[in-house]
Amino acid sequence: MNFRCISIMVASLALSASVLAESLAIVVHPANATDLTTEDVSRLYLGRARTFPNGESAVPINLAEGMLARESFDQRALSRSSAQLKAYWSKLVFTGKGTPPQEVDSHEEVLKLVATNPSIIGYVPASAADERVRIAIQLD
Amino acid sequence: MKKTLIATATGLLLLQPVAYANVDVSGYASVIGGRVLSGTGVESEGIPPSFLANYPLVGVYEKDWSFKPDTRFGLQFRANLTDGLSATAQVVARGADDFDARFEWAYLSYDLNDHWTLQAGKKRLPLYYYSDFFDVGYAYLWIRPPADNYTWQIFNYTGVNAMFNYFVGDWDISGNIYTGREDDSQNKLLSEYFPPRQPTREIWKNIVGGVLNLNRDWLDIRLTYMTYINERYRTIDGVVERVTWGDSLTRRGKFAGVSVNMDFGSWIFLSELNRLDLDGGKFDTYMVSAGYRINQFTPYISYADFDSANEKHNTTSLGLRWDFHSNAAFKFQYDDVKDKSEPFWEVAGDSKSITFGVDLVF
Repeated sequence: MNFRCISIMVASLALSASVLAESLAIVVHPANATDLTTEDVSRLYLGRARTFPNGESAVPINLAEGMLARESFDQRALSRSSAQLKAYWSKLVFTGKGTPPQEVDSHEEVLKLVATNPSIIGYVPASAADERVRIAIQLD
Repeated sequence: MKKTLIATATGLLLLQPVAYANVDVSGYASVIGGRVLSGTGVESEGIPPSFLANYPLVGVYEKDWSFKPDTRFGLQFRANLTDGLSATAQVVARGADDFDARFEWAYLSYDLNDHWTLQAGKKRLPLYYYSDFFDVGYAYLWIRPPADNYTWQIFNYTGVNAMFNYFVGDWDISGNIYTGREDDSQNKLLSEYFPPRQPTREIWKNIVGGVLNLNRDWLDIRLTYMTYINERYRTIDGVVERVTWGDSLTRRGKFAGVSVNMDFGSWIFLSELNRLDLDGGKFDTYMVSAGYRINQFTPYISYADFDSANEKHNTTSLGLRWDFHSNAAFKFQYDDVKDKSEPFWEVAGDSKSITFGVDLVF
């Protein structure tokens, strides 16, 4: 829900026509051995769960709106359009029931954050994941 | 929805490094215009053809175009003080109040653990499904939640609220329990709209309520209950009089409701069924609505009904939501109101109206 200018909108319209073909890697800290299902990931990113299934606290990190992998994640993991997600979060934010995941602008930023904190969960295109992180689940 | 400001002012004043609080600023706005196409008004009350689009705020459309009844702006400031503690304030300015900006929300929030959060302060009363986000037009389908349902004069309370969140056998179970009171020194709906149109102080005290939400995939069920004691004072010719009901100085209200919503593929189905019992008097409301998503367009239809011993009315609405921008939606709506109240109990008479505008969040 960051305020963005027209160019981002045009970009996102153009992107929605060409969804990321590549798999998405849901990544966690190498020391985090938790098993995750797509449903677990969805609940974390919709603010319905604050912990991993093993009970450890979880902090989801999102990619910025308009990024190719973000569009792909919204559709594959959350099964919702960006407008639906924004309406969903508006309700929670303005009634004090939740805050959306923090957003970062690059895949590298996701990897860095995940590598430094066992609580953080993020996602990147599968080809971008490296040895600093562990792939908890891959979304094809 | 997030712009982080650093609270540097405090730091500069103290001229020493302090632990800065991150303050998130977010907001919403709805700019809506409309007019009554035709209507009966209520001759005995001197009410011209009008559409009462918002009861508590007395948002009324008449035959001339107006942008006031539904237009509003909200700004929210949330200071995250870490370790689960935060402070939130929301300022709302509404056309129906001549854009007189007021703090509608001001509360502290503390996460007790991963399942429970405690909040204290001033909040919206979460009676009906849309009550607590009534102002955030972007978050729902229509121009406004159906006026026939959202008729109650009190919509805030000051008190404490405990929220919870659990996951049990594929169901997300969340909800809250709350208690508090509201003392509205000059209630707008009672003072300005309903006869005898005299300054009225409305008190809802000993409020105790709860909400239970059950979510699973495309299904969303909400149960709500609230009870309160009503006390009322009216000023007539400068003299404050306590309003009585029969022999009683107060009356007890008991509100209960159920809402079932489905969001299945392109289809959206929304419903609400509520009853307020005021010392035995029954006030029943329900709403059914359906929409169908076609890319960024969602045409919708809804029917809402209010039924009590004397006051009865319903609204049939047709409209279109167009998500034309990543932060904004354009909406157009036609409302056909039928006022079937008994003589002298009419609210605003029959009316047919159009309204349109933009909802946005940032």
